[in-house]
Amino acid sequence: MRRLIVVFALFISANVIAQESQIKIGRKAPEIALPSLTGDNISLSAQKGKVVLVDFWASWCAPCVEEQPELRKLYNQFNKSGNNTKNFEIFGVSLDSKKPAWEKTVRKYKINWIQVSDLKFWTSPVAKTYEIEALPFNVLLDKKGTIVGVNLHGKELEDAIEAELAK
Amino acid sequence: MKNIKQYLLLFSLILLSAGLRAQEKAEPWTASQLMPTSELAALINDPAAKKPLIINIGPQAVIKGSVDVGPGQEKDNIKKLEKMLSKEDKNREVVLYCGCCPFDKCPNIRPAFSLIKEKGFTKAKLLDVPKNIKTNWIDPGYPVN
Repeated sequence: MRRLIVVFALFISANVIAQESQIKIGRKAPEIALPSLTGDNISLSAQKGKVVLVDFWASWCAPCVEEQPELRKLYNQFNKSGNNTKNFEIFGVSLDSKKPAWEKTVRKYKINWIQVSDLKFWTSPVAKTYEIEALPFNVLLDKKGTIVGVNLHGKELEDAIEAELAK
Repeated sequence: MKNIKQYLLLFSLILLSAGLRAQEKAEPWTASQLMPTSELAALINDPAAKKPLIINIGPQAVIKGSVDVGPGQEKDNIKKLEKMLSKEDKNREVVLYCGCCPFDKCPNIRPAFSLIKEKGFTKAKLLDVPKNIKTNWIDPGYPVN
């Protein structure tokens, strides 16, 4: 009987572990490798060594689009390409389904950081992997690719980037 | 005289705030024009049911059998919708849906629903998508295109 209880407990705990979220602080960020607007495949793992903000958005998402000027401000502030110290990167992942709409918004808001998309809307495997339920959604990664922040915005995001860059 | 002025000022302020509140609440649809997702899914799944005209005015025509007009915030898409509606019987049930964001943030539903009302469709409905099309349609396993 005792053995049966132990087996049952192990079964339950295995299921709990299996269901545990992958997208939380301290976990390694799952890989993303998708085409850019020019068709080049760009991977998240290639950004290792930089603090990375993975920004999930779409041109059809009004709150995401409203946030783009704020992101540009952060990008200009922390991605010091002029000093050759590009320690901060934004990895934009669009859940768009129509390339022209995606491209038009990227141009309109002068988004000059990495942009990728599989143009699969909500059926994108990346949306499933990152357990996204609504946009905008983001994760902040340290220089080793570990998640250090989930869905940070405004001053909280700025402070978190600054703190990670200082490490 | 001073008292009358004060009463007039108070009365104006009350009128103004009531007006502002009414403006905040005004939506082109009424509560009875909101169609629950479960109701539309049941209609689509029932082979014997008379199908409404289901029109996507958001980012993608996800719902099975729906026609794509594109985001209602764009004037060209509203013209497309107008052209489509001109060929339809005004007594046909028409269901508009978007699902990009919750209603308060959605830029597409108001221009599209206002048009359908203006065109005199007697059975115009807006699909009630409280969060987004993923959570309220795809995840429950309702029929997709």
